[in-house]
Amino acid sequence: MFVFVVKYFGFLKNIVFLPHLFEGWLKIVTFVKSPKVLDTMDEIESEVMSWEKVSVSIHKYGGIQFNKGSHEIGHIHGNGLLDIPFSKKVQAHFIEEGRVLEHHTISNSGWSSFYIRTLEDKEYAIELLQASYLMRQ
Amino acid sequence: MKSKTSRIWIGILVANAFAMAVMGLTAFVFTYLYHYSNGAGTQFFIYSDFIIIPMAMGIICAWFWKDLELKNGYYLVNALLAVIVAILCSFLFLGEGVICLIIVSPLLMAFIVAGVFIGKVMFQKKNNKLNVSALSVLVIIFTVDSLSEHHYENLVTDTIIIHAAPAEVWKHVASFEPITEPNHYFLFRLGMPSPVQSTVDGYYEGADRKCIFSNGYVFDEKMVVYKPSENLTFDIISQPRDPEIMGHIDIKRGQFLLHDNGDGTTTLTGNSWYQLYVFPVWYYDLWAQSITRNVHTRVMQHIKELSEKK
Repeated sequence: MFVFVVKYFGFLKNIVFLPHLFEGWLKIVTFVKSPKVLDTMDEIESEVMSWEKVSVSIHKYGGIQFNKGSHEIGHIHGNGLLDIPFSKKVQAHFIEEGRVLEHHTISNSGWSSFYIRTLEDKEYAIELLQASYLMRQ
Repeated sequence: MKSKTSRIWIGILVANAFAMAVMGLTAFVFTYLYHYSNGAGTQFFIYSDFIIIPMAMGIICAWFWKDLELKNGYYLVNALLAVIVAILCSFLFLGEGVICLIIVSPLLMAFIVAGVFIGKVMFQKKNNKLNVSALSVLVIIFTVDSLSEHHYENLVTDTIIIHAAPAEVWKHVASFEPITEPNHYFLFRLGMPSPVQSTVDGYYEGADRKCIFSNGYVFDEKMVVYKPSENLTFDIISQPRDPEIMGHIDIKRGQFLLHDNGDGTTTLTGNSWYQLYVFPVWYYDLWAQSITRNVHTRVMQHIKELSEKK
């Protein structure tokens, strides 16, 4: 559903609060379909927030965004989709590992996507965010 | 544990009290001063009522819950509790009907949940953004929206092919026997009034027409164009107001156009012009179109059956 909406209705993302409406529904659907994803997101959030100089904000298209100083290190949407801004070189490394995809809408940019679906995905999501964090040293 | 539960409920109750107070204020101040329509008593519900206020409710809840160390799942469950309380309050204090609440609940649900999670981020100790600026944006949008002119009219058109000549179809357009076919549209099945019968006091321009709905509601209409086998246009003179959807939409005019296809069939076109009193349009007009379309379909399908009866 997420991919369908983003692909065909993504052009509406600049309507004020529409992405937040979508994000609200994403969380409700995730809660019904796979509540463990929300728990995993909690744990990732706690871990990342313990890192030095990390702060959180609301992502402009909904979801929670992690920042180091003024730089974004990644954001998680309500369905557990983690988006991270890598360099193309780092992205290529993670894509080669086979678990990370190019960003679901922005290709050829280094932006990468990883779906958090189970508790086991927590460690890998943290590893990805840590790589992004270290890039901003 | 007990204090945790009471803190959750305080958040929910304060958020709902805030919403009722602000909606009351907008209804009696902004709406009354700027939008009250022609003395008919129609009250506008604007974008802010369904978006800014629910988001603010979510943020208020999150403020009360900020020290409880709740997990995302608990935030969500409690947010849904706040939605249920909001729906109950709308029913009890705003006098909204069940159908209205069914229509409004997806918006309320998503924006209260969104507000709760925005608030959760806002009140985190490691949030480096200025929360005052986020709240200011909500207040500015709310004020500008409340003071803005709200007017939206639309037309819905439907067509159907009838296997009968226009003269035969015309016999069943101005007035028709009661519709006995069971309703298929889910809102009609849930209790929303559906069209049942139409009566006229004459077959001429200027004659009165009545459209009677399933719960006894009557729309009083005046035929403004009466061209046999071609065009019946009528203005709605008065319509019922009740807590259900009819208080939030006015049907202004209706029209049936008949086109002879030259092969023994007729294309019947139904047009309805309406004005909405609930905003945002991008949400409520979807419902208005769906409801109007189903009213058309029910009547036009009935006309088709009567016309094609041997």
